[in-house]
Amino acid sequence: MTEFLDLETQDGVRMPWNVIPGTKQSSSSSIIPVSTIYTPLKPLPSIPTLPYTPLRCRTCRSVLNPFCIVDFASKIWICPFCLTRNHFPPHYYSISDDNLPAELFPQYTTIEYESPTEKSTVPPVFLFVVDTCVIEEEIGYLKSSVSQAVGLLPENSLVGLITFGTYVCVHELGFGQVPKVYVFNGYKEVTKDQIMEQMGFFVKRPRPATGVIAGVRDGLSQESISRFLLPASECEFAMNSILEELQKDPWPFSSDQRATRCTGTALSVAAHLLGACVPGSGARIMAFTGGPTTEGPGAIIGKNLSEPVRSHKDLDKDSAPYYHKAVKFYEGLAKQLVHQGHVLDLFACALDQVGVAELKVAVERTGGLVVLAESFGHSVFKDSFKRVFQSGDYDLGLSSNGIFEVNCSKDIRVQGIIGPCASLEKKGPLSSETVIGQGNTTAWKMCGLDKATSLCLVFEIVKKDSPEAIDQSANSQFYFQFLTYYQHSSGQMRLRTTTLSRRWVSGPGSIQDLISGFDQEAAAAVLARLVSFKMETEAEFDPIRWLDKSLIHLCSRFGDYQKDSPSSFSLSPRFSIFPQFIFHLRRSQFVQVFNNSPDETAYFRMILNRENVANSVVMIQPSLISYSFHSTPEPALLDVSAIAADRILLLDSYFTIVVFHGSSIAQWRKAGYHNQPDHAMFAQLLQAPQDDANAILKERFPAPRLVICDQHGSQARFLLAKLNPSATYNSDMPAPEREILFTDDVSFETFLDHLQRLAVQ
Amino acid sequence: LDSKVLPRPLDGEMESKSLAEMYPMNCHSRYLRLTTSAIPNSSSLVSRWHLPLGAVVCPLAEAPDGEEVPVLNFSPTGIVRCRRCRTYVNPYVTFTDGGRKWRCNICSLLNDVPGDYFAHLDAGGRRVDLNERPELTKGSVEFIAPAEYMVRPPMPPLYFFLIDVSISAVRSGMLEVVAQTIKSCLDRLPGFPRTQIGFITFDSSIHFYNMKSSLMQPQMMVVSDLDDIFIPLPDDLLVNLSESRSVVDAFVDSLPSMFQDNVNVESAFGPALKAAFMVMNKLGGKLLIFQNTLPSLGVGRLRLRGDDLRAYGTDKEHGLRMPEDPFYKQMAADCTKYQIAVNVYAFSDKYTDIASLGTLAKYTGGQVYYYPSFQPSIHKEKLRHELARDLTRETAWESVLRIRCGKGVKFSSYHGNFMLRSTDLIALPAVDSDKAYAMQLGLEEALLAAQTVYFQVALLYTSSSGERRIRVHTAAAPVATDLGEMYRQADTGAIISLFSRLAIEKTLSYKLEEARSSVQQRIVKALREYRNLYAVQHRLGSRMIYPESLKLLPLYGLGLCKSIPLRGGYADAQLDERCAAGYTMMSLPIKNLLKLLYPSLVRVDEYLLKASSQADEFDISRLPVTAQSLDSRGLYIYDNGFHFVIWFGKMLPPDISMTLLGEDFATDLSKVNLCERDSELSRKLMKILKKFREIDPSYYQLCHLVRQDKFNKMHNTEEQMFNSKTEITWEP
Ligand SMILES: [Zn+2]
Ligand SMILES: [Zn+2]
Repeated sequence: MTEFLDLETQDGVRMPWNVIPGTKQSSSSSIIPVSTIYTPLKPLPSIPTLPYTPLRCRTCRSVLNPFCIVDFASKIWICPFCLTRNHFPPHYYSISDDNLPAELFPQYTTIEYESPTEKSTVPPVFLFVVDTCVIEEEIGYLKSSVSQAVGLLPENSLVGLITFGTYVCVHELGFGQVPKVYVFNGYKEVTKDQIMEQMGFFVKRPRPATGVIAGVRDGLSQESISRFLLPASECEFAMNSILEELQKDPWPFSSDQRATRCTGTALSVAAHLLGACVPGSGARIMAFTGGPTTEGPGAIIGKNLSEPVRSHKDLDKDSAPYYHKAVKFYEGLAKQLVHQGHVLDLFACALDQVGVAELKVAVERTGGLVVLAESFGHSVFKDSFKRVFQSGDYDLGLSSNGIFEVNCSKDIRVQGIIGPCASLEKKGPLSSETVIGQGNTTAWKMCGLDKATSLCLVFEIVKKDSPEAIDQSANSQFYFQFLTYYQHSSGQMRLRTTTLSRRWVSGPGSIQDLISGFDQEAAAAVLARLVSFKMETEAEFDPIRWLDKSLIHLCSRFGDYQKDSPSSFSLSPRFSIFPQFIFHLRRSQFVQVFNNSPDETAYFRMILNRENVANSVVMIQPSLISYSFHSTPEPALLDVSAIAADRILLLDSYFTIVVFHGSSIAQWRKAGYHNQPDHAMFAQLLQAPQDDANAILKERFPAPRLVICDQHGSQARFLLAKLNPSATYNSDMPAPEREILFTDDVSFETFLDHLQRLAVQ
Repeated sequence: LDSKVLPRPLDGEMESKSLAEMYPMNCHSRYLRLTTSAIPNSSSLVSRWHLPLGAVVCPLAEAPDGEEVPVLNFSPTGIVRCRRCRTYVNPYVTFTDGGRKWRCNICSLLNDVPGDYFAHLDAGGRRVDLNERPELTKGSVEFIAPAEYMVRPPMPPLYFFLIDVSISAVRSGMLEVVAQTIKSCLDRLPGFPRTQIGFITFDSSIHFYNMKSSLMQPQMMVVSDLDDIFIPLPDDLLVNLSESRSVVDAFVDSLPSMFQDNVNVESAFGPALKAAFMVMNKLGGKLLIFQNTLPSLGVGRLRLRGDDLRAYGTDKEHGLRMPEDPFYKQMAADCTKYQIAVNVYAFSDKYTDIASLGTLAKYTGGQVYYYPSFQPSIHKEKLRHELARDLTRETAWESVLRIRCGKGVKFSSYHGNFMLRSTDLIALPAVDSDKAYAMQLGLEEALLAAQTVYFQVALLYTSSSGERRIRVHTAAAPVATDLGEMYRQADTGAIISLFSRLAIEKTLSYKLEEARSSVQQRIVKALREYRNLYAVQHRLGSRMIYPESLKLLPLYGLGLCKSIPLRGGYADAQLDERCAAGYTMMSLPIKNLLKLLYPSLVRVDEYLLKASSQADEFDISRLPVTAQSLDSRGLYIYDNGFHFVIWFGKMLPPDISMTLLGEDFATDLSKVNLCERDSELSRKLMKILKKFREIDPSYYQLCHLVRQDKFNKMHNTEEQMFNSKTEITWEP
């Protein structure tokens, strides 16, 4: 395991197969696809930033890297991807064996370039899009959050404000005289041209007769742009006075109706405004919505309250009349935003669903952030939102305008990426015909990306098995190169390159090699993304069946057993906890969607699709730590058996953190022992899980929900729902001192029994 | 015809008093005037009368102190009205049957006297309580209407402003004057504390203003989707003035600077009008439009058709005086339906199609104010005064007016600025003392049996204080069997008022010439008819004779034909000016009209020089408006109620001009703005002007200075009236 973590620390990469099944056949029989979870902007401890532009292969455009073969005498390097011989340019002539440029150091497989000349002239743009169809209380929370945010923004960043409800109001922050808004009808989609016309972009400088008009370079006056987008330092006062007087949407609706809320139109107006003013430079639309869209494009439900918002069941039966239309609208919006290079962040805070399921495509394709909470006053929103603008240790490292490119050896094809990005449709010899996620390309747009953004790349091995022993000695490595251009929050353009080399094997004797390179956590994370993707895109897809089949095949192939003898079955330590991951994945919110709303499911999947392996594993299989007087904090089995009266449990299921006090602990606490000097130990015991929870809260985005509860308390369900039902009323041997789970879910033991039986067949 | 011997109205208006003497309980003539107080008893008499037969009503005419119309509250009895014809109880009803019944003077029905209203009759058949019953002794009373006269709670006074802020409006300086004036009037708008107020400004888009009382300053909301106008807020675009006063103040204070840099040249007037309508239509009220640019965008877009010279002088010319786009008439109809009265203030130095815009005022009981080529230095005071009067004068809201008359006669047509709701119900979303309405009368049968004809004008309205009221004016007139009597009882003012309205209406579908000649011919026919009556017995030869009552008719008739709406050919008045004057004259009370048609001329230099004389001692002696009246050593003021002309004689001692004009005295006087200077002379002159303006505050006279020889530039001198190509002969 640690070797995989070391690799991750060096390159931000985790791969299920670190020894690659090197032929088409062996890779397909290995069940888990050759794939990578890559965190392009992962902060790496010792990564140098080179103040120059990289050297590139003249044939395949890959970047000079430690795997290149260098001929110092003739000043030539050979590209490992296409084997082209490239001449070094004159300023590299001094290189030698002991005078290497940093990019050729063997340990710098990941390195960054920052070109001093390429700097964006447009500061980062934040366009706030705020829902006013919420109760006064929520408006209050929103006001203070947004105004706090404006205070935290870098002084030079440009700020805009749109509010919406029945209508869309674009605030002209630069007007100065009185608060001024441009109002657009909520039910009607407007074009960018109409927006520009109606917002007076052509009053002082007439519209050019031909060509696309957008941005300063392209025909718009700076003056007309800075009416709507102002430096934070200049508009803080205007923003605050607007927020101060921000009113709830004033249009009345009866008690059996939903408010008229035109989220789709508002976002479309926002996108047009950014498209007109700052096309191509880093900008974020930060949307705050407190309820379902009921008006205009993107509506997810009618206004009549008697109509319920679509459920998974409705989606399954295709009886959600608004769904496809809304998704189609947001696909269009996503396309526009990707084209413009802009990000959509979604802060959805409501008890009801707001349409995250429909909006998902626009957020995910643009690499936006998403937070789902019950209220704008809830800590999940407030803490998360604060994090967005925080600088320092827990800085999210928001970057923009990214382009991600892949190079790889010629026997590999890229099927696609599951993650927050959009295909640039740059089809080439390396792009596979079979597409998974964002495919048909070797380049992707990442409008928004940050330190945590993790892409799942899925590859296809196309090398044919050849009967003769392959010249493995000479050519047993596959190479991958990931290039990420992006605009650093400093405004500087950077390029991070990661070049990987992995040994490949094939043939009957390769099983042990494959086993030795298997990263079961990475495999679980990839499988979680894959199964979610398939559930969303394949009709009639049965995720349980698919997962079970995959696991059985995997165990048949890589397990150690005598045929038809379940008891003889065993797995190498490399695979040993994989069945457990699958067991939990089957029970997770990603697969058991019917326990949640489509919005929640979409939310969980969006977070899964942008997180690294470690966090994904926590989402799949929550971690449980037990605290007691008997020992130091120790991991506990995710099982009801972990519950004990004199224990405190800390459950981390990623979205929720539960501190669970056993009944005795709870009693002691209620009696106030921890306040008595002679019970300092108890006070420490009580404090320890809280401290650990806070440590998690601090670094996680979105901030998880923190639940502090006692055994037998109503909140305890947050823990119980995640535990393996080893002791249910179905159990053969009910142990009276154990917690009993009333569930028909199969227990892990039963699951494992079945698996062994089937794997050995 | 010898103009020297022509009678002139130099001693004020000649108005017959005989009717008031005959029927002392009649309402005052300021409220109702008949073109003749002798109602013809047969259609043959009508046909020989030749002049219009009808009435001019000014239901809210200002009464001098002490002559106010008494306000009566009949609750809980209810207002006593005839069961059949709905006439209100009035001095001419008769009580019978010991006071238990009353007979309607209009339809003769015998009605029961309601129990609460019962009073015994004295020996003479008069009610014993007659002295406590103003409705039975006075021709004008006002009843407080009970709930059944309301279809909704009485509306609050409501002023909504629709203001052009395009570049030409801003540059004209109009915006600043309007904003200042509105601000200065906020304390004086009628109806405190219920008064409501709201604003929309527009150029190529429409700007609404959220004036919610809790806001620090107004919020501007721009809507630019002209094809699909919507209002961005359900409330707070119209607010209670007293509650939102600080926001309103903040708005009018910042209005001029808000648009000082506006470079927008377009006018989305039609959509803006629709928007204003959408904001106002829940309540109604007064819509004041300030307009500077020809509507160029959206619905109601207008063409520069007035600049198309090809139409002038042809059979199509009159079309230019008609609204082009039916949008405006439709909007006016909608406004009237929702109790919205529209006043149009137009300022442009270019053609703005007043013909079309004015339709809004015409059909909503409104008014057109026109300040062509507005410049603050010249027009500021006029605009200030007239806008302030518009905003602060007592106004009756959501009203309807009906005039009833006795059996055998019938009103056949109505003329003025309003819309007819049914055949005889005049809808007036707002009405005030400056508005008069005219109607023509006919006989229902060939012969009229009655001895007396009664008229009753009833105006049902909401007062600014929020009361529903009915103002009732009742008058009786004798029936005449003799044509001579009809002529003797004629009322030139009423006749001219009706004539002017008929003639202006005629210019909308005929050539100017035809409109003029129809007036002239009717006057000629009438005088000929009268002459024929008496020619034989008086052996008058070819001399013109006329009854005392009609002696000024030819002069006013000529004045009418020389007035802006009817004058000359197309080149004699700008099209917009002509139309604006037409709309104004259609609603003018008789007194203002007569002054406009025959202005007053006074000499002031001697008075100014007289030591220690005070302006209030100034004795106005009117001079004939002829060149012969002008002494080149004198200084004269000509006043038609809308304009002053100050005429400087050639030989006027230069020190007078210098004292009055300062360093400007030698320059082109048309560019000089008369203002008070630090001298007794100047102060006295300004005092005179002030006094003239105070005589009738409904309009403000704009001051023009001219030197001798330029006077002929002014119209309505008698020379101009008579020395015209279209002159007709008055000889029979
Ligand atoms: Zn290459
Ligand atoms: Zn009657």
